Amino acid sequence: MGSIDVVVYCEAGAGQTEASNASLITAGAKLAANQGGRVVCLLVGNDIAEVAGELGQYVDEVRVADAPRHADYDPLTVLGALQKLVVEIDPCAVLFGHTHIGMDLAARLSAKLGTSLISNCFDVQCEAGATHFLRPMYRGRVNAKVAVEGGIIVATIQQSGARQPDLKGGGQVIAIEVEYAEDRRIRPLKTIAPTRSGVDIAKADIVVAGGRGVGEKENFALVEALAAAVGGVSACSRPLVDIGWFTSSSQVGLSGTTVKPKLYIACGISGAVEHVHGMKESGTIVAINKDPDAPIFRIADIGIVGDLLELLPLITTEVKSTRTA
Amino acid sequence: MKIITFVKHVPSSGATPRIAVTKRGIEEEGLAYEANETDLYAIEEALYQRFVHQGTVTAVTIGPRRAQAALHVAYAKGVDHGIHVLTEGSHGTDTALNVAAAAEVVKKQGFDLIFTGIQADDDLQGLFGIALAEHLGIPVISAVTQVNVSADKKTAVVTRELGGGYKEEFEVDLPCLCTVQFGIRPVRYSSIMAIVKARSRKIESMSLEAMKIASRQASRMSIAELSYPENSGQCQMLDGAPAEAVRTLVANLVEKGVI
Repeated sequence: MGSIDVVVYCEAGAGQTEASNASLITAGAKLAANQGGRVVCLLVGNDIAEVAGELGQYVDEVRVADAPRHADYDPLTVLGALQKLVVEIDPCAVLFGHTHIGMDLAARLSAKLGTSLISNCFDVQCEAGATHFLRPMYRGRVNAKVAVEGGIIVATIQQSGARQPDLKGGGQVIAIEVEYAEDRRIRPLKTIAPTRSGVDIAKADIVVAGGRGVGEKENFALVEALAAAVGGVSACSRPLVDIGWFTSSSQVGLSGTTVKPKLYIACGISGAVEHVHGMKESGTIVAINKDPDAPIFRIADIGIVGDLLELLPLITTEVKSTRTA
Repeated sequence: MKIITFVKHVPSSGATPRIAVTKRGIEEEGLAYEANETDLYAIEEALYQRFVHQGTVTAVTIGPRRAQAALHVAYAKGVDHGIHVLTEGSHGTDTALNVAAAAEVVKKQGFDLIFTGIQADDDLQGLFGIALAEHLGIPVISAVTQVNVSADKKTAVVTRELGGGYKEEFEVDLPCLCTVQFGIRPVRYSSIMAIVKARSRKIESMSLEAMKIASRQASRMSIAELSYPENSGQCQMLDGAPAEAVRTLVANLVEKGVI
């Protein structure tokens, strides 16, 4: 019987986002259970036997292509493997993590299959015979509940620490050979590891991060002053790297560093998915933003709506006076 | 070198759009629009490549009449031509239809390089560029942060982002498409004067409906309902005067033992 199984493309290795696998499998298991189908995981990389074995505990089957030649991400080769798997098992859905590689592959597969792409899903709802996906629109200011009519569902699933898959045990791990794509118009040259300079923000207990709302570069001194007062480190969100103030080693987010400090203070950060991905597992999250509708307040524990230039010096002074008291 | 870039006209970043009564769309009336942010990065990259390799840059927008404003921004930045694919019925929200129309336009123009932004700020889908390349049968690299074109070899060395700060370098045959990541190069400020002046530049306009394009779509995504995101309820908002809010905040953090 076809069209009941779910394929999940998991990630392992350099530049891949292994942390996204759990939420992905949870979503896949929900869809598959609704259809009475299986979850089949595809994994392509180098030296990934351990991850494959671990994933086998949570899915029905893992197809793993583990070879040195898969060390660099080769989109057309992986796409070929996905297409082959789709033909073989005729799934109702193919799911990816909402990551750099997941988005790349999902869009490619969706274009090949001529289906809509449901990217960036934060929840899957299966009720009364209908399946809906929840995803943000308009920079996260509006949520959309979407359905797909006809064809295979291709979706990317946001990472969430709250969604851990149930342990199934006994999933088969099957080694497969994945051939290079015949189309060699895209040739991977090398994977470049991030250059880590200065402070490792991933190791800090307290992170004070500034975003676009900081405004002028000299205002960032206020973020640094607060970081110093609380004994933490300063960091930033993506826009400040894009405009050249900082390098990506200071950046918290999907394309920067994932941090889990006991205290995270977000200053003038709106809370785009890219950023939230890298800090939402923090112990206590404080958000300061002039926009009361900023998505960051949805994941924060404590929020203040107001002007950073006024609030940050006040907080720094208050912290200092508390410490000396 | 013939370079084509796409720019979408999307609701401005500052405001939360009002959800329409049907809950399946937003109220467009009174909404402010702007050129999509990553598309501006795509335009800057296109102009840089023209600077290095000579040639022309054509900017294309697909959308209702108001979308011409996105082309005024593109002209103010320095593109050579502007093309507007006017969508009356679909409001430019049907990606498959947009891709089919875009493919017609670029085939007619001819091209060596196409740059699009990585995703549009309204639908946050991230499909258009990749689907366009697939439709055209040309190679595509997504999340691109650097492009070095070797015009004689008809190839480019392109760097893309991976997760966790990793990057990957590819060699790609031209013609190709790159979906451009934020920050590929600085977006220069366009003055109001330059944008006003750009309004007099000629925009080649064609109607999507008149192009008689059928989308190649095998499936269709439909919006069942739009809603405003709910706060998790866990966020304690500290209202009141700034000094008071700050005192409460710091007392809270001390109590939690985090500072």
